[in-house]
Amino acid sequence: MTQYETAFLISPNLEEEAIEKVISQMAEVVKKKGKLINEDRWGKKRLAYPIQNFEEAFYVFFLYEADPSIPFELERRFKQTEAILRFLTIKKETREKVRKKEKEIPEEEKSLSAAEEIPTEGEDFEEEAEVAAERKEEDEEADEKAEADAREEAVEKEEKVDEEASLPEEKAKEED
Amino acid sequence: MAREQRTERSSFRRYFPPKRKVCRFCQRNVRDIDYKNVDILKRYILERGKISPRRVSGTCSYHQRRLSTAIKRARILALLPFLED
Repeated sequence: MTQYETAFLISPNLEEEAIEKVISQMAEVVKKKGKLINEDRWGKKRLAYPIQNFEEAFYVFFLYEADPSIPFELERRFKQTEAILRFLTIKKETREKVRKKEKEIPEEEKSLSAAEEIPTEGEDFEEEAEVAAERKEEDEEADEKAEADAREEAVEKEEKVDEEASLPEEKAKEED
Repeated sequence: MAREQRTERSSFRRYFPPKRKVCRFCQRNVRDIDYKNVDILKRYILERGKISPRRVSGTCSYHQRRLSTAIKRARILALLPFLED
């Protein structure tokens, strides 16, 4: 059984009873073979852009657990019902897909490959490797943070060196 | 040419170092971004209704992917505009 969430917009010119009727009809479709977990009504809400010349619509959300045939059936019904302006069904992700372990690494560096995260193999940053080796003697928690810091520093240093190296050239150009 | 650009940039950087941006979803340890949560999504669209790029908002790639699908879903339900003028 999969969890689905279906949202649909009911046209605002219906009477309250009629809206109620549409919602209960749809709820029955779900209940027949699945389990309706939650029904959420936002009531009439302004649309971000007009749909069929309507400026507002009645928002309803169904959260349910059912076989895949149910959302199909629901959508078939939606298409037949004129009062439904829009609908959207999504599959809820119940379980987390493999997500990399949480570590105290700045975001930008998370994208680096795992090999680079091992401090001893930093080919580009020799300084970093040295620093890391020293820090190993300290306790682990501080280690991670310090490592990240050291890495940042190393990067910054490099940039500075770059700048300074480039400065004379600049001057030369200006003189020209 | 490329060299010139680089010097220009680095001298600029020297006086205005870039502020490090951090993904705000990661900070709060958010896993899913809900398309119904318009208040949050609104912060990540530009005034024309476009999805704000990563280099502007600082969102990490994982959350940017989630964010863009959430915004697109919200657009279908007319919670967010496709374009605004």
